[in-house]
Amino acid sequence: MDSILSFFSGFWTDLQRLFSSFGSEGSFLSLAVGTLDVVCRFLLPLLALLVVVRCARSLLQGKLETESWGWLTDPDGNYQVMHHWEVLLGRSRRCDIVLNDPTVSRNHAALIRDDKGIWTLYPLRNKNGVYLGGTEVTEPTRVSDDDVIALGAAQLTFRALSPAEEAEQAKTRTRPGKVFSPGVTLIMLSLFQAILCLQLGRGVEAEYQQSVYTSFGVLCALMWGVYIIYRIFRRTGFEIETLAFFLTSLCLTVTADSAPATLYKQLLTVILGIVLFFALSIVLRDLDFAKKLRWPAAAAAVALLAFNVLLGQRLFGAKNWMVIGPISFQPSELVKVVFILVGATTLDRMFARRNLIFTLVFSAYCVGCLALMSDFGTALIFFVAFLAIAFLRSGDLPSVAFMTAAAGFAGFIVIHFRPYVANRFAIYRHVWEDTSGLGYQQTRTLSALASGGLFGQGLGNGWLKHIGAANTDLVFGVIAEELGLIIAVLAVVVIILLALFTVKSAATGRSSFYVIAACATAMIFVVQTMLNVFGSTDLLPLTGVTLPFVSCGGSSMMACWCLLAYIKASDTRQNAGIAIRLPKRKPGKASDRPAELDPPPASDDLSNRSTGRWNPAGFSAKLSIHREEEEET
Amino acid sequence: MRKLRGRTWFVLLFALLLTAGICILLGMYFVKGSEWASFSANSHLYTNGRIATGSITDRNGLLLYDGETGDYAEDRTIRTATLHAVGDQYGNIMSGAKLLFRQYMASYNPITGVGTGGNRVALTIDAQLNAAAYQALDGRQGTVAVYNYNTGEILCMVSSPTFDPYDSEAVLAAVNAGDSRYDGVYLNHFLSASFTPGSIFKVVTTAAAIDHLNALEDFSFTCTGSMEIGGTTITCPSVHGEQDLAGALANSCNCAYAQLALELGGETLQKYAKSAGLLNAIKVSGIDSAKGSYTVTNDAGSLAWSGVGQYTDLVNPCSELVLMGCIAGEGSAKTPTLLKSVTSDLGLPTALISSSTSSIGWKASTCRAVKALMRNNVTNHYGQSQFGDLPVCAKSGTAEVGSDAAPHAWFVGFIDDPDHPYAFVVLVENGGWGSSVAGSIAATVLNVLCGSD
Repeated sequence: MDSILSFFSGFWTDLQRLFSSFGSEGSFLSLAVGTLDVVCRFLLPLLALLVVVRCARSLLQGKLETESWGWLTDPDGNYQVMHHWEVLLGRSRRCDIVLNDPTVSRNHAALIRDDKGIWTLYPLRNKNGVYLGGTEVTEPTRVSDDDVIALGAAQLTFRALSPAEEAEQAKTRTRPGKVFSPGVTLIMLSLFQAILCLQLGRGVEAEYQQSVYTSFGVLCALMWGVYIIYRIFRRTGFEIETLAFFLTSLCLTVTADSAPATLYKQLLTVILGIVLFFALSIVLRDLDFAKKLRWPAAAAAVALLAFNVLLGQRLFGAKNWMVIGPISFQPSELVKVVFILVGATTLDRMFARRNLIFTLVFSAYCVGCLALMSDFGTALIFFVAFLAIAFLRSGDLPSVAFMTAAAGFAGFIVIHFRPYVANRFAIYRHVWEDTSGLGYQQTRTLSALASGGLFGQGLGNGWLKHIGAANTDLVFGVIAEELGLIIAVLAVVVIILLALFTVKSAATGRSSFYVIAACATAMIFVVQTMLNVFGSTDLLPLTGVTLPFVSCGGSSMMACWCLLAYIKASDTRQNAGIAIRLPKRKPGKASDRPAELDPPPASDDLSNRSTGRWNPAGFSAKLSIHREEEEET
Repeated sequence: MRKLRGRTWFVLLFALLLTAGICILLGMYFVKGSEWASFSANSHLYTNGRIATGSITDRNGLLLYDGETGDYAEDRTIRTATLHAVGDQYGNIMSGAKLLFRQYMASYNPITGVGTGGNRVALTIDAQLNAAAYQALDGRQGTVAVYNYNTGEILCMVSSPTFDPYDSEAVLAAVNAGDSRYDGVYLNHFLSASFTPGSIFKVVTTAAAIDHLNALEDFSFTCTGSMEIGGTTITCPSVHGEQDLAGALANSCNCAYAQLALELGGETLQKYAKSAGLLNAIKVSGIDSAKGSYTVTNDAGSLAWSGVGQYTDLVNPCSELVLMGCIAGEGSAKTPTLLKSVTSDLGLPTALISSSTSSIGWKASTCRAVKALMRNNVTNHYGQSQFGDLPVCAKSGTAEVGSDAAPHAWFVGFIDDPDHPYAFVVLVENGGWGSSVAGSIAATVLNVLCGSD
């Protein structure tokens, strides 16, 4: 009751004050500026909300359209469509192609397509053997159209989509950006940036004014530049990038507000981050290359972390900094990218235990190095990412629970031997009892956050930014104080959106590699957000990790943009991004056949179901667009 | 791939955890935001730890403290008299409104956060009445408090020793140097200290005697000026002769009450002290008052002394005030409060002031009987003339606090008049004779209060 009453009274008072200032101050200019300030105070959260909601609806609304890559036909003419590049065949209901035949093993065999369109048959754990064209195969073997695959007593005729059909399919699938035009969203975001920029420019010291205007100008140009590149390459899925640019705008805002001297440096890391994003996207287009890249990348990461442990600098508490000349950076941020590359894997390797052991050793090495550097926050992030990867690969919940328990035990030992870690746990949920000591940052974050209300005190009017490491560890509070809780919460909502979209995309993922990488990325973003936001507001112990994209800091910014490529690589919506190749517009020569020769199933059947009777009546121009069905039971 | 997809709930789980956490944070924000914002490190509201927004006034709108300028009331006597209600410059006085009500002084709402300007916090105290009480105390240590037992509003709350808040710095230095003039200066003697009650405790013994010994009809005692109990001598200042209960209370006859205490026993007395609310803390606008004490003893002499408010008996003035209010209200009265209203600088209310009721575990008939006896004290003993026409019911006390110190002078009671529903407590530490020293202060304050009504 009190708060409702105080709200109405307070709001009324604000309005009264606004109108009384109209009368008194006289000058038209000050009146106009005053009005504009008030309007902007409400306009900023509104624009942010519009941007996030438009992106959210575009990403999450509606069912995903699956892709089709071929089909398997039994002797009776019943066919099952292959929706992924990795297809598990067996009796288990969790298989992609379910064969209800007692002679078929639970996970009998796998069919895997590479990004050149070549399919390979992998025999898995089976009793009754895998036969290709009558010959038993025990090693991975290439499959061609009309090959007959026999799993026990089950016989299937293989047929892949021809490049022409692929191109046809690409034409008929819905492209993102149709309902919510990315251009319109970008215009809103540009307006958001413009308001931030003007308010910052007015508030900042004269010597930094130029850098504020330049930085925001460059950021806006970058955003439109990336968008234009996308359009040139006929890519229309720009929601994820838009959201990342939204968060990056907040980062530049906090930088300009708290440390304007480092603005250009921060901007440079944004540019580098976007370059890395493109680079990794292009790498990920070629799955074979990406897989080959894992070994050198892992070796580089091992070396980098070793150097870091031996030669690292203790900059803010943890010894996780490398200083080379004028550049200081945190190798652990870049290792995150490699960590995921190493952890992600394709279906064929998921059945081989030794591969998981390598990931386990590599993870243990990374977490161990971070612990040696006293960077327990990042160690925890790596550990959770590892858990996600381990679970996605093995599906073994007891093992994950066991590893969590083991990590909890290790954490207990750390707390025992590292008093400063123990202190952070001791103050947890008791921050108000030691506001000048261990609860210093949390109590101030909460106080500043509450002061801002929903709409903020206005840019430049906050005090939380003056506290040490506020623009990284307490950045949620800084934004809430100056821009308001709405925008601060929207920043977290963006991370939640990325995670939800990743989970949604998993249904249509081409390869396990992409799905695992995207899920691990989402986990890293989500866990970092939890540790940052809840740590600074005393819902969790304070660990001092960055808020993805928002916290000031070069390594973190580059890593975040780079990681974004993993999420884009799992986004199989048609023409969504550059991390996925488009089918050639003109069919090539090599593995090509005229489409008419081999009639695919009628579109009616395919468009509604994934299984059915092959209707050989003829080629229907429009090939399958499969809406997701309730397949899970 | 379907297997893998089935495992992505793991990621969904963490996304949901993040969502749930944000919801919890938002919930806490709406519930506790005001508390968070009023944290003394918040530069939107504080300058060097001093609240820099809002203002404090007395019940009549007289400015006592201006947050933006840091100015106190203009009149030095008022500043000094209201020090413990308002607070010093350094936040050393915990009962001060500057600390208690800083949440209200800051204009805050969860929608627009902290606002400029702040709110006007009106206290229930009457600054002029405080000044009169302070002057009546005339530099002696103690406390004077008056409250309206029908509304709970504390009209007068003076604690001494006190000082002009503009002298905060000098006083702090003196306190740190161990200057005895300022012993307990930061303590609000009304709320945060307990004292030996002396004869004002006889009100409790009387209630117990009425209920348990049917003393109103049956009690009769002949005072010879002293009496021997278990090797301890109980003395009266004079020989009171034969008296009934009313006479014994009016005369404040120690021997008679020693006899009653022996007949009642320690457990019964403790039960009545507890049901009178004297042994518990009372929450006054968010601050807990000090507790009193009563110790049950097997020693007859000590038991006798405990019945007349000596031995280890302790009473907090605020609890005593509530007891007086409850006797007037025949069992219950409003709990004292210091907060009258909170308004924005345009005069709109920004907080709802809730009131609560205190009650004592005494029967209404017992309260009525005690009330009649206390009225009898005034008409037949203390003298009605000093109170004009006001139907004052009271009990004095002269509490011995050691052989080398003068006794504490108490005068507690209430006006049994719906037009003047006031209870009061006056304590002059080491002041001497209760009814004359403390009684005259009470008379002065009540006359100022009711004269101005």
